Amino acid sequence: METNPDFDHYMDHYYEFLGQWDSPSRCGLKIVHRKDGKTLAIATEIYRQNPGTPVTEWVAPLATRIMQEQQCDPAGFMFIEHTPDLQSKLTFYGETFDLVHFDTVGEKLVNPRWTRLTAQEVDRLMEE
Amino acid sequence: MKFKLVYPRWDKLEGQTIFNLPPHGPVVMAAALPENVMVDFTDENVEELIIDDSPDFVGISMMLTTQVKRGWEIATHYRKLGKKVIFGGISTMLHAEETMQYADSVFLGEVEGRLDQVFKDFQNNQLKKVYNYLNNPPEMRLIGPARRDILKKDLYYHKGFRMVDLFHASRGCIYDCYPCAVRYLGGRGFRPRPIDRVVEELSQMDNNRLFIVDNSLALDTQWEKELFKAMIPLKKKWVSHTIEDKNDVLDLAAQAGAWYVYQAVFDTSDYIRNRIKQYHDYGIAVEGTILLGLDNQTEDDIKRLIDFLLEIDLDLAEFTVLAPFPHTKAYSDLLKQNRIFDHDWNHYNAGKVVYHPKHMSAERLAELYQYAWDTFYKDEPQTMKMFNLINTVVSREIADGTYTPRRRDLADLSFGKKVPKVA
Repeated sequence: METNPDFDHYMDHYYEFLGQWDSPSRCGLKIVHRKDGKTLAIATEIYRQNPGTPVTEWVAPLATRIMQEQQCDPAGFMFIEHTPDLQSKLTFYGETFDLVHFDTVGEKLVNPRWTRLTAQEVDRLMEE
Repeated sequence: MKFKLVYPRWDKLEGQTIFNLPPHGPVVMAAALPENVMVDFTDENVEELIIDDSPDFVGISMMLTTQVKRGWEIATHYRKLGKKVIFGGISTMLHAEETMQYADSVFLGEVEGRLDQVFKDFQNNQLKKVYNYLNNPPEMRLIGPARRDILKKDLYYHKGFRMVDLFHASRGCIYDCYPCAVRYLGGRGFRPRPIDRVVEELSQMDNNRLFIVDNSLALDTQWEKELFKAMIPLKKKWVSHTIEDKNDVLDLAAQAGAWYVYQAVFDTSDYIRNRIKQYHDYGIAVEGTILLGLDNQTEDDIKRLIDFLLEIDLDLAEFTVLAPFPHTKAYSDLLKQNRIFDHDWNHYNAGKVVYHPKHMSAERLAELYQYAWDTFYKDEPQTMKMFNLINTVVSREIADGTYTPRRRDLADLSFGKKVPKVA
């Protein structure tokens, strides 16, 4: 586990994973153990620091793996995708948060759907 | 062994001038084939595909998303005949999982140094379902020279004028631009070819006019300058994407034969205005590439942008609407927001709107796309602006002794098909 002084409120360490076509990939990750017993994972897209598959393109296998590593079941697991603000002139690289909903097939999370959240909503989910 | 390599056809954009350029992927792939393989190439955009033949092995090379469905059809035909079919190329990689359903094998990544094993596996009836070299690019010195001898060259003439040949001097890109999939296709690193290998290939090309298809030449100043210096004696005339905005680089580019560049025009800033002027100051023409339908564009922004294009004296303009190709951030963003409504890959031609734009309806964006073309070319049609560009290059070629006259024997043909003679 690597730490970095630039990690922020939503990202504690880098997380390595094999993405599509076994591409070595990495994202930021924060795990929050909520008061209600649920585990909240926040995966941050780190763009140029990610040599492989972006979080969105591999979200279901990635969330499945993190859920299993955290020894959670789907009912006790929440997953948020985070893209940081790249301070770009282009609006497409602003900060976004999406709560990702999945169906389950066996022990796998499948069929992702995204719901946009504000930073305040994410903070509330982290506090609950 | 007879290897049939097919480049599937696609429907060209309505109302646009049709130019069929000699494809690049197949000639690069052919250069990496084992010596005992006889390649029979068909570019379905300029010739009929003969499908009642009996090749030993079939390859389908696809560059565009609009080729994939046709590629799948061709594969289905040959597989019914019991032929093995392998897919490769850019859009094979973009659509790999779907393409696997129609393929005996899918090749992902770059071919140099890999095809001996693929063909050995084929001959031993041990073809793998996927050859995945996406994370293992070849040594750059292995690349090329491309096998342009597989092309039927006379098919790439329009009324006796030869089309540019495609060429590449580097792969990969350090940027992660919103509509682009190069990060996935070529990796996040910039990988220039050794200059001596570039010159070797350029020296072998009998076409004086080229399109250097690299995503950007502006990624490594020193290499870029060395490349241009090495190209000066070759006297080629070429089109490319962006060149770095440094005066010494542009000066060398002009000496090396820069004819015109594709420059993205994304706003109405002085930066863009000065960029265009800077190219022109070095005698390099500019074709603006204008992407419409981004989330930061309102109707007024688009109209203002088109007015701006007319002010800044662009030589040509090409308008596209955002096409959210797989493995781009555009695709990810629109997917997350559930805004993609059309998943027919034949419609991903950058002329059709397949998603809900943020500030207008899809229908309105389609109207503005047409308005953009009509307005920009209202006073001087596209063919006339192109004619001006051709005249520029002809003058330079006459001056440096590289001019090759138009082929009179092909004057009544356009990409192999008869055209009526103009009186």
